[in-house]
Amino acid sequence: MAANYWESSQRKYWTFSKKGLADVRRAQESEPANKQLIATYPLPERRLLNIYFHLQLAKLAKRMSVRQQALATAQVYMRRYYTKVEIRTTNPYLVLATSLYLACKMEECPQHIRIVVGEARQLWPELISSDTSKLGECEFNLISTMNSQLIVHHPYRSFIDLQTTFSLVQEEVSLAWSAINDHFLTDLPLLHPPHVVAITAVLLAVVLKPTQGNLQSHAQSLQTAMSTIAVPPSNTAPTTAQARIQKLITWLAESSVSIEAVVDCVQELISLYDVWESFNEKQCKEQITRFVKALALDK
Amino acid sequence: MAASPLNPAAASPNRQKSNGKLKALTVQPKQSEVRSDDEGDSNDDAPVNLAEKLNNEEKRKYVKGKKLGEGTYAIVYKGHLRTDPTQLFAIKKIKLNAEYKDGLSMDAIREVKFLQELSHPNIIPLHSVFSTRDQNLNLVLEFLPLGDLEVLIRDPDVNYSIADIKAWVGMLTRAVWFCHANGVLHRDIKPNNLLIAADGEVKLADFGLARAFADPQQNMTYNVITRWYRPPELFFKARHYSGAVDMWSVGTVFAELILRMPFMAGNTDIHQLELICQAIGTPLEDNWPGVSELEGYLPFDKDKITPVRTRADYMSTFPTIGSVGVELLMSMLVLDPQKRATAKEVLEHRWWAEQPRPTEKERLPRKAGGEQRMGEDLKRRGGEVEEDGRRGDKVAKKLDFSSLR
Ligand SMILES: Nc1ncnc2c1ncn2[C@@H]1O[C@H](COP(=O)(O)OP(=O)(O)OP(=O)(O)O)[C@@H](O)[C@H]1O
Repeated sequence: MAANYWESSQRKYWTFSKKGLADVRRAQESEPANKQLIATYPLPERRLLNIYFHLQLAKLAKRMSVRQQALATAQVYMRRYYTKVEIRTTNPYLVLATSLYLACKMEECPQHIRIVVGEARQLWPELISSDTSKLGECEFNLISTMNSQLIVHHPYRSFIDLQTTFSLVQEEVSLAWSAINDHFLTDLPLLHPPHVVAITAVLLAVVLKPTQGNLQSHAQSLQTAMSTIAVPPSNTAPTTAQARIQKLITWLAESSVSIEAVVDCVQELISLYDVWESFNEKQCKEQITRFVKALALDK
Repeated sequence: MAASPLNPAAASPNRQKSNGKLKALTVQPKQSEVRSDDEGDSNDDAPVNLAEKLNNEEKRKYVKGKKLGEGTYAIVYKGHLRTDPTQLFAIKKIKLNAEYKDGLSMDAIREVKFLQELSHPNIIPLHSVFSTRDQNLNLVLEFLPLGDLEVLIRDPDVNYSIADIKAWVGMLTRAVWFCHANGVLHRDIKPNNLLIAADGEVKLADFGLARAFADPQQNMTYNVITRWYRPPELFFKARHYSGAVDMWSVGTVFAELILRMPFMAGNTDIHQLELICQAIGTPLEDNWPGVSELEGYLPFDKDKITPVRTRADYMSTFPTIGSVGVELLMSMLVLDPQKRATAKEVLEHRWWAEQPRPTEKERLPRKAGGEQRMGEDLKRRGGEVEEDGRRGDKVAKKLDFSSLR
C-alpha cells in the first residue's frame, strides 16, 4: 500500500463524520431534479443495493481473475461516487464495470478496456454498450467526481499485523476476513480508518470463535461481543477466550483507537446482517433496470 | 492573460523565436483549445449534481494563461488565481487519448494518484484538480519557473560549486527518501525531472512511471527509468526490485552534476550495460550473489571482465568532491542492489557535515534567460524508455524536436 494513511487523501477528504455524510447525501437528494427522480423510481435501501452491486462486481472480477484488493477498491470507488452523484442519473452497471477497471489500474493489475467491456457485456448484455468510449468517459467522470483522490487504504494490511499480534487461528482469520469484506457493504469505509475496521474484525473473530457458521447468523453473538467490550469481564477466573478478549481490550486501551469507533463498527455490521435478511436480488435488479431503461441511461 | 500561440505579439524576441519553432512543429490547435483560458468564465449548462458544482467552483478559481510546454500526455499552461493574479500555478492539462477509447493512460493515472498523496518540500505540490467542459483533467501544480537541473548542467554560462551540488543532491535524496518511506518507487529520476522553484528548491516531478512497492508475489516491469539512469538489475530483467533502483539513478545524477555531462550515456541497452561494466565493474556472482539467476543475465567473456572500480579510480574521475564525497557516490553506484545505499543511509552520510556546507537554496545558481526559455527547454535528448506504448510516443516526439534544433 502506497503512502501513509495519516497524510492520505482518504483521511483528509473521504472520511466523514456520520453527520457529515448525511449532510452530503441530503444535499444531493434535495437537488430539485433528483427529488423528482427519487420519487418516480423507488429503490431498495442503500445497503441492499450495495449487496447487489457487490454480487455483480464479484462476478465480473471472477471472470477476469481480479485480485481481492482491486475488488475492494472498486467497491470503495462506488461508495464514494454515489455520495456525490444521484444513482438514478447513472447506469450503475457501467459505473460498476468502470470502478473495477479503474481499481485494476490503481492496484497495478490493469485490464484492457476492451476485455472489461466484453466481459461486462457477457454478464449484462442488455445494459452495457459495446462502445468502449462509454467506459472511458465514465472513468473520467469517476476520477473527476472523486477529485482524483484514488489511493484507497484497506484494512487488510493492518489486519495482517494484528493477526500475528493476537495469534489468530485459521478459523478466526477467515471469520475476520469475511467481516472485513462485509464492511464494504456498509458506510464504514467512508466513516472509519482502515485499522479500526481491522481491529473490529479481530475482535469479532475472537469473541465469536466458539460458535460455528458465518457471521450473518450471529447478530445475537455480536450483541454479546459489544457488551463485552463495553463492560469488561469482572474478576471471575478468566477462561482462555476471556483472557484473549482481555488482551484485546488492554491493547485497545493502550492504542489510539477509540472504543466508540470500534463499537460503532460492530453496530454497523450487526445492522447490516439484519438488513441482509430482506435482500432480494431479483427486486434490486428489476428496480435498477426500470430506471436505466426508462431514462435511457444504457445508451 | 494568455498570449495565444497564434498571436505572439506580446512575447519577447526570444519567446517569438521559440514560438516560430513551436508553430512549425505543432498541429494548429483547434479553436476551442486556443480559447481554453476562457473555460472558467463560460457559464456551463446548469450542473446536475453536487460533484459538478464543486468542480465548477474549483475550476473558476483559476485562470489559464499561455502555454508553457508540452509533454507526452499533457500540455502545461501558466495559470493564476482569479482573485489574486500574483499567485501563479502551472496547469497541466492531460490529453485524453482518442476519445476515451483506451481510457486514461497509466502515466496520467499514476501522476495524479501519487501527487495527491505525497506532500513534501522536494516533491512538486499538486494544489488542485479540476475537469473542464471539454472533458479534460487539469492538474494545478506549483509554478516552477527556474527550469530543471538538466538546464543548469548543460548551460555553459552557469557556474556551480561543490556546495551547490551538495544542496541539489541533498534535496533530491530527501525527495526520494520521502517517496520510499511512503512505499512509492519513482522509477524515472533524471535531471530533467528535477524542477526548480522560484526560491531555488528542487522539486521531484513526473510521477508517470511511479508505483507502490509490490507485494512479494507481484511482478513489476523492468522497462522503467530512462536508460542512462537505469540500474543494472533492470537490464537483467529483474521483476522484483526495491527503492535501490531509484538510488542508482540518484547516484548517476550526482555523477552527472559533477562531470557536467551524463556519466554513462549508452546508445542502446547493450551499450549501456557495457558502459556500466567499464565505469563500475562487471556484475558477477562474487560481487553480486544471485545475479546470474536473473532472467536477463548473460555470462560475460572471461577476457572482458572489469573488476569493480576502486576508490582510486573514482578519485581520478571525480577529483573535485574529495574522498568522502567519492565514498558516498560509490555507495549509490554499487552493482548489487542489496548492498546499495538507501536514501536514509545517504542522508546520514558524513559528507553532508563536511566542508563546504550545502549552499542555501536562495543562493543557488540559476539559469540565464528566465521563463521565456521554458518552451525551448523542451525535448532535449534521447536515451528514453523506449518500449511500451505511451512512453514510446515520447521518444518519437523527442527525436522530431531535436532534429529540428
Ligand atoms: N510546474 C511547472 N512549472 C513550470 N513549468 C512547467 C511545470 N511543469 C511542466 N512545465 C513545463 O511544461 C513542459 C511539459 O511538462 P510535462 O511534465 O508535461 O512533460 P515532460 O516531463 O517535459 O515530458 P514527458 O511527460 O514526456 O516526460 C516542461 O518541459 C516544462 O517546460
